[in-house]
Amino acid sequence: MSAVPASFFAPGHKVRIAGRMAPPHLLSSKPAQRDSMRQVRIIRSNTFRWALAVAGVFAAFIIVLFGFIYWQTDQYLIARSDLMIATQLDVIAALPGEQRLDAINEHLKQDSRGVHYAGLFGADGHKIAGNLEQVPPQLKVDDSVQSVPVIATLPLRRDRHVIRAIGRRMPNGDVLVIGREVDETREISHVVGQALALGLLPALCLCLLAGAWLSMRSQKRVEEVNQRVQRIIAGDLRERLPHRDVDEPFSRLAAIVNGMLDEMETMIRALAGVGNDIAHDLRTPLTRARLSLERGRTNAATLDQLQTVVDKAIANIDQSLTIITALLRLAEIENSRRSAAFGSVPLQELLREVYDIYEPIAENKNINLRVEVGPRLDVRGDRDLLFEAVANLVDNAIKFAPDGGEVVVKLLRADGETILRVTDTGCGISEQEREAVLRRFYRSDKIRSTPGVGLGLNLVAAIVKLHGFRLTIHSGPGGRLEIICPDKQG
Amino acid sequence: MAVVSGERSFAGTPDSNRAGGVATAGNQLMTKVLLIEDDSETAEEITAELSDRGFEVAWSANGIEGLDKARSLQPDAMIVDRLLPGMDGLTVIEALRKDQVRTPVLVLSALGAVDDRVRGLRMGGDDYLTKPFALVELVARIEALLRRPVESRETTLRVGPLELDLIERSARRGDRGIDLLPREFRLLEYMMHHSDQLLTRAMLLEEVWNYKFVPATNLVDVHMGRLRHKVDGPGEIPMIHNVRGAGFILRTGP
Repeated sequence: MSAVPASFFAPGHKVRIAGRMAPPHLLSSKPAQRDSMRQVRIIRSNTFRWALAVAGVFAAFIIVLFGFIYWQTDQYLIARSDLMIATQLDVIAALPGEQRLDAINEHLKQDSRGVHYAGLFGADGHKIAGNLEQVPPQLKVDDSVQSVPVIATLPLRRDRHVIRAIGRRMPNGDVLVIGREVDETREISHVVGQALALGLLPALCLCLLAGAWLSMRSQKRVEEVNQRVQRIIAGDLRERLPHRDVDEPFSRLAAIVNGMLDEMETMIRALAGVGNDIAHDLRTPLTRARLSLERGRTNAATLDQLQTVVDKAIANIDQSLTIITALLRLAEIENSRRSAAFGSVPLQELLREVYDIYEPIAENKNINLRVEVGPRLDVRGDRDLLFEAVANLVDNAIKFAPDGGEVVVKLLRADGETILRVTDTGCGISEQEREAVLRRFYRSDKIRSTPGVGLGLNLVAAIVKLHGFRLTIHSGPGGRLEIICPDKQG
Repeated sequence: MAVVSGERSFAGTPDSNRAGGVATAGNQLMTKVLLIEDDSETAEEITAELSDRGFEVAWSANGIEGLDKARSLQPDAMIVDRLLPGMDGLTVIEALRKDQVRTPVLVLSALGAVDDRVRGLRMGGDDYLTKPFALVELVARIEALLRRPVESRETTLRVGPLELDLIERSARRGDRGIDLLPREFRLLEYMMHHSDQLLTRAMLLEEVWNYKFVPATNLVDVHMGRLRHKVDGPGEIPMIHNVRGAGFILRTGP
């Protein structure tokens, strides 16, 4: 019994030796080696180990069960036979003297299997009748049924046995002993045990097979995933993990990872786009600067002309620097974890200040700037950043509102939310442009001529995101942007 | 890399030649500025510009030497780069402040983030300028530092015919009262504190508007235009002057 599990665990040793040869990620491309490595990996795999563990626990459980059944059966059979012996003794002892001998002989004769023992001995210990040669020396007379070794005379043999026996001294001094072989009951228990053992073996095999199969299956999927991932690492961003439409952990995991890959692909593509945009937006002014300097060096005849050229070049370089500053600022906000410094920001006060600053600018452009604030509304946040965000929105709105137009900043309260709304009477942002405006450097074709770096809304979006607020852009006519501040910030 | 070669080829040049030469000319009234900057080319440009404007400039290319010079030369103002070989710029300032040296310090840095700026000022810097910067901006800031208004109990500021009552929050030019909005009042107050000095847009944004970012629109120009409209009435000699490409000056003269 105990040898069985040991032989099952034996492959484990082979595994450990083989496993040391090469770590799994160094898999060479040679097919043969790969195959053997795969086998090793199946055995090493967690799934297989789990199967082994389950098989082990199962075996232990069965062994304990067997022990319990064996013990219980044994107890039951012995108790029954003890009762029989005691009854027999009572019956024979109750008979008058001569009939006892007949009863003993009769009792022994009826026993075709040779499991019964009986003996009547005189007060001095000599045998009167029965198949026992002497009173078993260890037998306590006038006690309950007990296990004692005896020497029996059987039809075929004469040997020492341990039997269950009971002895009683008769009124005339004789000793009556009745016994019964219990090996038979032990045999029955053994049969039960064997049956269990026979059941255990196939169950263990089944466990191991299931383990190996599951492990192989998961290995295959891991290998499949590995290949896809390798392709992704190699730069194929469109590759996705395989998944079936079933509610199974592997598929669910694959779906989750795919979701993440989607997000990352979008981000990487956006980033690549940004890289191009940056290069383009930086190169344009730098090219202009370079050209004017080059031409000025050759052509400028007077100091005045040279200064004009240099001024132009400086202006262009400043434009490049402004872009870099704006990008760094954007990165600073996007990477900041400054929520610890958040405080309560009274919005209407902030709006009043924005109005204070932008009113002259609006007036210069003949635009009516209005700020409508209701009761005091506070949000949690970084005052300076929120100011920057609102200033940017208002700045944009004024920039895009036509001559004689209007820009309105409004503070509203909806259920559980504070809404800061900036509307203008400009051309607005069309449905198609809504996503694009949040792209870095995006400038609507309609407003290409308007000066600006094209990062304003990105900054607003970054600040809004940092606060756990939302930025919504409504489509035209007229621009309408809202910063929505939920009372419970995520 | 540029640092090493710079030190080798320019070691001691600025102070031993230029500033030394000025010193031997015997002008003891010249304002001394100590520049601690490891990039020799930048240092050379700054030194040349400040010398042209009449400053006596001493240059150190590393923090340790810079700290020594700050103690021995006792300059009137210092320009300190943040990232220096030997000793970090902020550490230099900290050490000086511990010695109770109150010399105004302008911190230069390629680190432009708001947090870096706040840190630079907290560590004892008086002003902070992000690289790259315009020379005109640097000079304007140094001059502002050198002529920081003395803490006075005066409640009235006067520049020529211009008068600002800080208690009543009222302004007048000669006999003419000027009606100012709160922000305009703050702007004029700052300009009167720094009369006859060039004030750049960035300085105004920081000091008057408390802006920590550069707005997209020419805020300063629009507000300055309004203020100027109120201060310089028709027929009056203009007091607020626009210095092209640099900033604004409030002065009595033409």
